[in-house]
Formats: sequence, structure tokens, C-alpha cells
Amino acid sequence: MKEKCENPGDLLQGTLDLLILKALARGTMHGYGVAEWIHQTSEDILKVEEGALYPALHRLELRGLLSAEWGTSDNNRRAKFYSLTAAGKKELAQETEFWRRMSGAVARILQTA
Amino acid sequence: MFSEWSNKTWLRFKAIWKRRQLDRDLNDEAAFHLSMREEKNRLAGIDAEEARYAAQRQFGNATGLKERSREMWTFASLEGFLQDVRLALRMLLKNPGFTAVAVLTLALGVGANTAIFSVINGVLLTPLPYKDPQRIVVMKRNDSLPNVSDILRQTRSFSQSGGINIDNMDYTSGTEPMQVRAGRVNAGFLETLGVPPMLGRIISQEEDVKGGPRFVVLSYPFWQNFLSSDPQVLGKTISLSGNDYTVIGVMPANFVPPREHADVFVSLWVAYPDGASERDVHFMHTYWRLNAGVTLSQAQAEISAMDHRLAELYPDSETDRRTVFLPLQESVTGSVRPALLVLFGAVGFVLLIACANFAGLLMARAVARRQEIGIRTALGAGKSRLIRQALTESVLLAIVGGGAGLLLARLGISLLLSLKPAALDRFSGIHLDAHVLFFVFGISLLTGIVFGIAPAWSVTNVDIAESLKEGARGSTSGQSGNFLRKLLVTAEFALALVLLVGAGLLIKGFSRLRSVSPGFNPQNVMTMHLQLPETRYAKIPRQTQFRVQALERLSALPGVQAAMVMDRPLSTNDVNYRVIVDGDPPVAVGAEPRAQTNSVMGDYFHVMQIPIRAGREFTPLDREGQPLVAIVNEEFVKERLPHRNPIGARIDWARAPDPPRWMTIVGVVADVKDSSLDAPADPAVYTPFPQSEQVWRRWMTLVLRTTGPVPGLVDEVKKQVWSVDSQIPITDILSMEDLMAVSLAQQRFNMLLLALFAVLALILAAVGIYGLMAYSVSQRTHEIGVRLAIGAQRGDVLRLVLRDGARLTLLGIAIGIIAALALTRLMVSLLFEVTPTDPATFAAVAIVLAVTAFAACYIPARRATRVDPMVALRYD
Repeated sequence: MKEKCENPGDLLQGTLDLLILKALARGTMHGYGVAEWIHQTSEDILKVEEGALYPALHRLELRGLLSAEWGTSDNNRRAKFYSLTAAGKKELAQETEFWRRMSGAVARILQTA
Repeated sequence: MFSEWSNKTWLRFKAIWKRRQLDRDLNDEAAFHLSMREEKNRLAGIDAEEARYAAQRQFGNATGLKERSREMWTFASLEGFLQDVRLALRMLLKNPGFTAVAVLTLALGVGANTAIFSVINGVLLTPLPYKDPQRIVVMKRNDSLPNVSDILRQTRSFSQSGGINIDNMDYTSGTEPMQVRAGRVNAGFLETLGVPPMLGRIISQEEDVKGGPRFVVLSYPFWQNFLSSDPQVLGKTISLSGNDYTVIGVMPANFVPPREHADVFVSLWVAYPDGASERDVHFMHTYWRLNAGVTLSQAQAEISAMDHRLAELYPDSETDRRTVFLPLQESVTGSVRPALLVLFGAVGFVLLIACANFAGLLMARAVARRQEIGIRTALGAGKSRLIRQALTESVLLAIVGGGAGLLLARLGISLLLSLKPAALDRFSGIHLDAHVLFFVFGISLLTGIVFGIAPAWSVTNVDIAESLKEGARGSTSGQSGNFLRKLLVTAEFALALVLLVGAGLLIKGFSRLRSVSPGFNPQNVMTMHLQLPETRYAKIPRQTQFRVQALERLSALPGVQAAMVMDRPLSTNDVNYRVIVDGDPPVAVGAEPRAQTNSVMGDYFHVMQIPIRAGREFTPLDREGQPLVAIVNEEFVKERLPHRNPIGARIDWARAPDPPRWMTIVGVVADVKDSSLDAPADPAVYTPFPQSEQVWRRWMTLVLRTTGPVPGLVDEVKKQVWSVDSQIPITDILSMEDLMAVSLAQQRFNMLLLALFAVLALILAAVGIYGLMAYSVSQRTHEIGVRLAIGAQRGDVLRLVLRDGARLTLLGIAIGIIAALALTRLMVSLLFEVTPTDPATFAAVAIVLAVTAFAACYIPARRATRVDPMVALRYD
């Protein structure tokens, strides 16, 4: 089943998925945690509308790349915790490799005068 | 890939059942995020209110995002569909009047169809309960055992064959003497049908020979009723017509011979060896199993060649065989098949009319909802979405209508079966089964879609600006819908006319049939069947002695006239012989014309009030040893003795032993319907019982005429008969009027049903035209008001509206007449003495339809004349 792309023009979607997978590679965390991690790691360069994170999380969960569980946060609130599944780890590796090659290629193209 | 997809589907399914849970989770997740962000903002030193707003800004459109997530988690199209259904239900509940009329209309159509379909399903579609029934064929005419075995041996088309002849046998092992119907068969009969016995075994080929062991196979009902379902019955003996038969088998409960009713099965060679060996006694119904790969026409070709061979070998009995094979199913359902197909066609028309009304209702409603649709379109509802919504409504209505129809069908089926058409007796499978339910669901769904599409489409053809104007009642935008509705009403009238003509023809035929004289006076005549046991009544003089004594005692009963006849009129017993007339030029052997033969005793013609046209009745002097005499009917005189004085002419049975035993005709009587009212009377010959030579015809029917109803007559008669011989079973106690009714039953069944459908069609068509006219009057209130205001008379308005209705009606009637002329030919086999194009019926039906339409249009037309011009003008 091919994932239906709701906003075909949205270049960031694939990127967002990759960032989420990368964030969760460090371990289980809730949505807010993922958002914070992206903020901090990208030094606020990648400005994501925070709400957009959730449809992306749900899409990945539906694809079986993430598993989710309701639990209690540090401050004792009900929160949904996401973690990578085996399929998620595989996907992360593939996508990372793809991005590496892609950005390398783009960089080379840009370097040529 | 697949596991990813199935995982997703599973999660979505889970989400369906946990809708609330899903909503709560989505809310909680967003709330958690917002509160975390808010707290962080506050810690950064922003004041509380601003912190919250900032968090919300950073989060974005929460509702939209939640919506996206929810769509992801659910089946969006299914959700939309459920939403449509909820909306449709709400609409239908809000308009109970509309809903009730639509549902009732469809329920009538679907219910009538379902009832008839369940009969067709049970009779024509369900395979008969034999082994490979499609490979069994039936000979149209009866045949004899020697012919059956010759054909099986000398042809290659058949693997098995069997024959059965039904005869009454006395069963004297029970509490009182009674008669059972014995199927006298050859060993091949039960083998060919291929139904294994429930207990024991069937008669084998080796036992099916002259002098073979007296074995009997019981039917399930006989075993149940007279042997108390004894599981140890095998090996026991029962007494049949004075002989002991050993029970070797019991057939299963669902086994019935295809066209016969039998209580027990015995070997013909054992029970009646004289009949079994006679090549020219064609008295067996025969069944043939085709070899694999042999078609009916191949078998037919081979049997025709065989017929020629038999004719050459046995010219005096087998010259005009002309054997015809029929498929088993056709031979069993033969008589009801055309009637059922015509009824199914008729009921289909009723459904079409109901559907047309349904579509008309939907269209009227679509117009009434223009404003609502306009608003929804203006708010951005897509065309396809609106059509889907309208279709959902019509399909929902259709399915509810179908469900209500199912209830009606249940009533209808019990009504049908209570009419007890004899031809349907053997079919036990008439009920609502899975096929029927599937049929109902299918036609309901189809109706909803096919007849919902046009109204649904017209819903979307809305001029938004026009419809949004306050109170707009534009007379332009409904134009195409109105045209369609007129078309539907015209079609309804055409269909109704066809049905009414069909019903009219059947009614006319039926009344003709009812007025057919049976040839005797059936009032106050009671009949009973007696059979003398062979063991004590083997000779004619002994039989005569019993008959004379019994008649003497019965005639002595006060107010009773008694006589005897071998086979009563209107019975299906059909005994005919070839007859030759003294002095006629000789005819080829086997080509002599046949005549019905009957024996009588007592003043039979007087008791039955059969008019004597010439000569005299039999007297007690016409007995054994006296000159042989006969009485013939008018048909016989017309065919065999034209231009001659029949009295004194001499006749004899063809192929009687030499020298001829001429019988002198002493009287001529009026024709009597021997088999059924709708069959013409055949030539008939009556002889006195005592002069009979046929010792085996030991049965007779008592006929007793009384001046009025006599309570206790039957018991008194039994007592008198048993005072002569206490071991005589008395069966088939029927009044002649009952027999008349039985003879009319099938026609009555056809007529009542078709008439019912026609009335249904008439009502539906009337409702249809009434609805259209009432609607168009309400649409034209403004126009009518203007006309009245500028001086039109009320009569003008009445004419205006009626003219509209009349145009539709007359057009419908004209089309209907053309269609009826083409279609009624299909029912010619159901009609009695009426041509399918009977002008009187056509004219009468057209008038009935026109008058009904006029009445239906008159009500709205009257309403139009009462329009108050002032109110009407303000109305718009």
C-alpha cells in the first residue's frame, strides 16, 4: 500500500518523517519531546508548526514504523509515548542513506560553477 | 508491504469501535503538548495568559490537525457513508407522511413479487429430490411393461427405466378395512429415481418376476401412520387385498413419486401378473434415466425409430405410438408452469408501477427541497456528494420498503397456499428461504438505485440564485422533472391496462367456465368410492349380487335416490376403448376411434338428471344372459352415427374375441363432462354393470341424490353398505358440488391472483396520477389565481386541470392497448373460450381505467377551482 500524500507540494513531509525517526532513535519519548529535540538539535533553524508533528507521528504509527503507548510523564500527566519498531529502525537507516547520497549530490551540483 | 497494510487496517478497525477513545486520545495528546509548551513559556518569564496564547500559536490549527489525524485513523468514505445514512434517516423521520407512502408503495410491489417468486422458487427452480433429476425424462403417454423393457434393451440412450401404476388395494391389517394407494412398479422404478430407502432395501430385479415373493416397500407416511413408525418393521407382514406381503423397506420422509401419490410399492409382476405381461395395456407412467452425454433430442430421435419397429412387430396395439419425452421437471410442473410465469410477469408489472410511483414521489420531494439544496450548493457541497446523499435516501427507503414487503409476502404466501391450488400440492418447498431473501434484497436495492437516480440527478439541477430567493416557486426549474413524472404516470397507466386486460380475460374465461353445464345436476348429489376385494368378488355374478343388494338397501332410505357408476364425472379416471360400429367399412387394426367407457347400475341417468335424448334407460332386465345393450352420448352419435338412427345400431369393442358380441344401442343421453369442465365431452359408451366382462373392474362410485341436505347421510350409507358386506372400504366421500369446485380450482386460483394484481395496479396508478395532478395544481396556484382574477370561470379551471390528466391517461391507455395486444397472446393456454384479443374486455378495461383516472384527477381539479384569487396572488 502506497502512502497517500495529502499535500503533494509539501517538500518537508519526508523530511519531517525522517527527523521524527531520528529523534526517536535515541529512545522512547512523547510528541512534545520530539518537538523539543528537533528545535534544539536544529538550533531553531527548522521551524515546524508544532501541531503538524502529530499527524506525522500518527501516520508513522499507522505504517507500523512506530509503536505507541500511553503512559505518565515526568510531571505526572497522561501522555503518549512513541518508540521505533524494528521496521522503523530499518526505515531510518534506508532514509538516512538516501539523504546522505541526495544531499551529497545536491552539494556537488551546487559547488560546480 | 502486506503486513504494513494489514496492520494499518487492523488499527483502523479498532478505531471504529473506539471512536470516543480516539477523540479523547487526540485531544489529550494536543492538550499535553500545549500545557508543556505553556509551562516552558512561563518559565521563560512570559506572563500566564500570553504563555498560553503563544503555545497555541506555535501549535497551529489544532482542530484541522486533529481532523487530519482522525481521517487517517478511520475509513473516511465509510464515515461519510454512515453520515449520509444518519442524515437520510433524520430526513425520513421528519417527513413521516412521505416516508409512509413511499414505503407502503414499495412494500406492495415487493411483497407481491416476493410471494409469487417464492412459489416459483419452490416449484420451478428447486431441483426435484431425486438423483440427478436433470437426467430423468418422462414419457408423455403411458406405456406397458413389455414395451418398457424392449425399449430399454434395444436402445442406447437410457441407463435405467421404470414404470408405476397406481391401484387401490385393501389394507386389512389395521383396525378397520381401508384402501391404500399401491404403487405397482417394476424394479427399475425406484432405481431410476435413485432415492435410497431409509430402512431395508427396494425390490430387486430378480424378485420382480411372475410368481416372485410378495414384498412391499412402505412410504414414510404409511409407516408412520399405520405402523406407528415401528423400527423393527422389516420382515413383518401386512395384508393387502387378501394377500400377505413382507415389508422389506421404508422410503425416506421426503420421497414422493414425481406425479403419483402412493402409500406402498409392490411389484406389478407379483401383484398383477396378467396386467404386467400385456403389451397393449398402456397403464404405466414411465421414467427414463438418460445415459451420460445423451441429450433429450438424441433420445427422442432414437425412440422414434423404436416406435416404428414396435409398430411393425405389433400392429394391432402399437401403431400410433408417437412417443414424446419430457424433462422430469417440466412434466411435473407442466400444468402450473404457464400460469406461474404469467403471474410472475404480472407481478413484475405491479412492481414497475410501484417503482414509477416511488420515483414520482422522490421527484416531487426533490423539487420541494430546492431551497435546502441551493443553500448546501452555495456552501460548497459537491454535486457528487449531493447525488450520493439523495441516492442514500432512496436506497434506504427501498430497503425499508423491501423489509415491509417481506412481511406482506409472508402473509401473501399463506394466502396463496390457503387457496390450495391442487397443482401445487406436491411442492412443499414454498416458503421464504435464502434465495427468496436474496431476491427481495436484490430487487429492493435495484429499485432504490435505478428509480432513485433520476430524482437524485434532478436534485442537483438547481439554479442556486433562483432557489435562494425568498419563497421562490419558480415554474421553470421544475419543468424537466415534471416531464419525467408525466412520462412515469403514462407508463403506469399503460402497465395497469395490460394487467387489467389480463385479469379481465381470465375473469371472463372463468365465468364462461362456471356457466358450462357439466351435463348433469350437481346439486345435492353425494358420491362415494367402493371397491370389492378380489378374493371374494372374482366373478361378475358375485359382483352383481353385491351391487343389487346395496342399491336396494340404499334406495330404501327415505328421500334418497341411489345409483352406481364406475367412474364419476369430473374425475380424472380416463378409461377409453376402441369401438367399432356394425356396418361401418372396416378400419385398419389399431386405428379404430376411441370412446370413453363407463358402466352404470340403477337409474343412473335419472338420478344424475342427465337428459335422455332418445330411447330408454337401462332396466333391471338388462342383466347377464340377456341381449347386450349400450347407451351412447350425443357426441358419439355425432361422430360415429351421423345421418343414422342410433337406436338399434350395433357396436362392439374393437379386438374383441370372435365372434363379435354386438351391443345394441337402446338410448342416447346428453354429453357429460367426464374429466374436467374445460375439456370438451368425448364420445362415450355406457353399459350395464351386470353385462360387463371385465371382472377386474371391481370398483364403483355410489351416487346419491337427496332433496336437500340430509344430516347423517354418510353414516347411514356406510351402515347399509356394511350390512351387505362389512369388509368393504368406503373412500373419497365427496359431493358433486365439491368436485365442481375442484375442477374450477386452478382457473379460480389464476383468476383471483391476476385480479388482485390488477386491482393493486389500478390503485397504484390512480395514486400516481392523483399525486401528479395534486402537485401540479399546488404548483400552479398562482397561475390559476391570475386566470380567475382576469375572469376565467371555475368550469374553465376544472377543464384545464382535467384536460392535463386526460391527455396522460388516454396516451397511457393507447400504449397499454398496443402492449396488451402483444402480450396477452402469452396467456392463451390459461383462457377458456376467450380470445386473447377479446374486444369487449379491452373496451371495458379501457373504460374502467379512464373512469378511475378521471376520479383521481377530479379531486385536485376541484381544489383548483376553489382557489381564492386574492390569496393565490399574495401566495407568491
